[in-house]
Amino acid sequence: MTTATDWQHILTRRSFLEYDALTRAGALLDPGSTRVLCGPFDRLESPWLEPQGIVPQSDDGVVIARGTVDGHAVVVASVEQGFQGGGTGEVSGAKISQALRLAAADCRAGTPTAALLLMETGGVRLQEANLGLNAVAELCSAIMELRPLAPVVGLIAGELGCFGGDSISAGLCTHLIITPQGRIGLNGPAVIEQEAGVAEFDSSDRALIWAIDGGEQRHAIGLADTLVPDDADALRAAVREALAGGVRAAGQHRSERIDLIASRLAALDPANPPSPHELRALWSHDHAPVDVDRRRRPPPTGTASRGRTWLTALAGIEPTPVIASVLRADTDDAVYLAVVPDPDNPFHRARAGEVGLTESLALAQTIRQTIAEDASTARRRAIVAVVDLPSQAYGRVEELAGLHQTIAAAVDAYASARTAGHPIVAVVVGQALSGGFLAHGLQAQQILALNDPGVEIHAMHKDAAARITLRTVAELDKLGTTVLPISYDVRDWAQLGFCDGLLAVQDADAPTAADKAAVGLAVTAAISSARRGPRDLSNRLETDAAVKARAASRNVRDVLAEQWSS
Amino acid sequence: MQTLTYQFRADRTPPRRVHIGVVASGDLEILLDLPAEGTSHADVRVRTSVDGFDTVWHDVLSRFFARTPLSGRWELNDFGATPGVVTLRLQQAAEAATGADSEEKP
Repeated sequence: MTTATDWQHILTRRSFLEYDALTRAGALLDPGSTRVLCGPFDRLESPWLEPQGIVPQSDDGVVIARGTVDGHAVVVASVEQGFQGGGTGEVSGAKISQALRLAAADCRAGTPTAALLLMETGGVRLQEANLGLNAVAELCSAIMELRPLAPVVGLIAGELGCFGGDSISAGLCTHLIITPQGRIGLNGPAVIEQEAGVAEFDSSDRALIWAIDGGEQRHAIGLADTLVPDDADALRAAVREALAGGVRAAGQHRSERIDLIASRLAALDPANPPSPHELRALWSHDHAPVDVDRRRRPPPTGTASRGRTWLTALAGIEPTPVIASVLRADTDDAVYLAVVPDPDNPFHRARAGEVGLTESLALAQTIRQTIAEDASTARRRAIVAVVDLPSQAYGRVEELAGLHQTIAAAVDAYASARTAGHPIVAVVVGQALSGGFLAHGLQAQQILALNDPGVEIHAMHKDAAARITLRTVAELDKLGTTVLPISYDVRDWAQLGFCDGLLAVQDADAPTAADKAAVGLAVTAAISSARRGPRDLSNRLETDAAVKARAASRNVRDVLAEQWSS
Repeated sequence: MQTLTYQFRADRTPPRRVHIGVVASGDLEILLDLPAEGTSHADVRVRTSVDGFDTVWHDVLSRFFARTPLSGRWELNDFGATPGVVTLRLQQAAEAATGADSEEKP
């Protein structure tokens, strides 16, 4: 890193912190090459904000611009951090995904087009909850589609940082550039404090926040590739270098380095976590071999949960633990996976079935292993995600270790299995919240859900979502009756266009023989559909429900395609 | 949130359309789109996150259009900007739309 120590340089530098989204995009592209697509006068606003009494922005807070860097075609997606905390909504998310997919199509047609993602965002926009969450899943899939064809370079250079689901997207990028002011993490400090208390994370402690999430630390522990000062010229130079580096070989992306994640997590003792500074030494290349036996535990007791119940019911055999909190059950043509509660989990914020560090790693390892085992067979086994999880793990150790990156590894594994021809089916039998669902379920080609009051699919649990959007729970419930994506009722979720079956059951907690048979049949049918259908997530825009509920996404897809080459 | 509409006499036609600002806290975005041929007024639509300031909006806008009678379709998306900020953004939009050296922002 070249540090801007000389005061003249500091005075004359052009700070990215002070730029709006369009200026940022323009500052990175070759002068005069910027062409904005789906701009303000196309008026592709979010359709969901005005009904909630929130003023929309004419481009929904994302600038998509085509241009060149050193003469090579690039598309930039620049998030406006001032608008709704940079939150990903239906339209803003669709703009980025469609831009990446069009770039991938150009690459396949012989015109290499790289992508730059300027991710200044708090994650999913809670006012568009389920559509925002799905938008992030589609964005992850789109990054994975473009990444082998042209570099996808992420840039985090704002004052907001990159949090929530979008941090997972950043974890999938070919190359990640960050400034010392920039931050990346899955759960922001305020959210952790709200969920787990001030003892877990004091969100007023700025030194602590930057020590954990800040650009210098993330770069030092290898969760970002380039650290640059907050200066437009330096950032452009870093972007040029990253683009010139081209694509990474298969297996070399950060989200594919499961071996590395595994050895690093093994070196981390959650009962006695290192300080952020100690972590740098612990995770440097020369750390001592880890005594994994030290933490070997007695076999899990098998806490009852819907996840375990349905995993057993659908696979028809007793599941075996991958780790205590991740179970698998294998049939001849499918691998069933579930994340379950583990009251003895050494990571105390992941004891109730949340997806934490070891859970996302175990998912990624199991799926990768399945891909490898089936590599030489023509008919690849299905992977069925049985989903019953209260969220991702909200904790300080989790952020310290970069939970966004281990979740990116799980997302990467699911999406890789899908593109390798493994049908991926998700069955939501309980809660499916937020980053947990992104890690385990939302990369599926087919998503089924039980029609049961205990089934809840959302970007955040109700109390927290109400607090963050400055509403009472009663107000939130009332709004949910008219604004579909924020409803907590699974029957409303089923109308958003990505539900492939809402299954009636008599008892979701203790399924009857008829329940098991009916859901089993639905899963079998979903596996066949997934096997026949596309290997990407494009079918989520083609259902009858999507035509209605996701008209805005479809419009973005069409308008962007129309303007792309014009 | 409140939506307000106003019309002001405006006899100058902007040479280009412009987009200015962001719907960020204490700020607003302005879209000025070209008027239909022969229009001699400015149609203004304000969407504001703060209710109950109809009179203030009217006063700020009428003062601006008295000095800068630029016709066209004005859309203001406001997230709690003060009258001073609103006036600055309006002037910025007018300058960008009429200034000789400024380029159209797409």
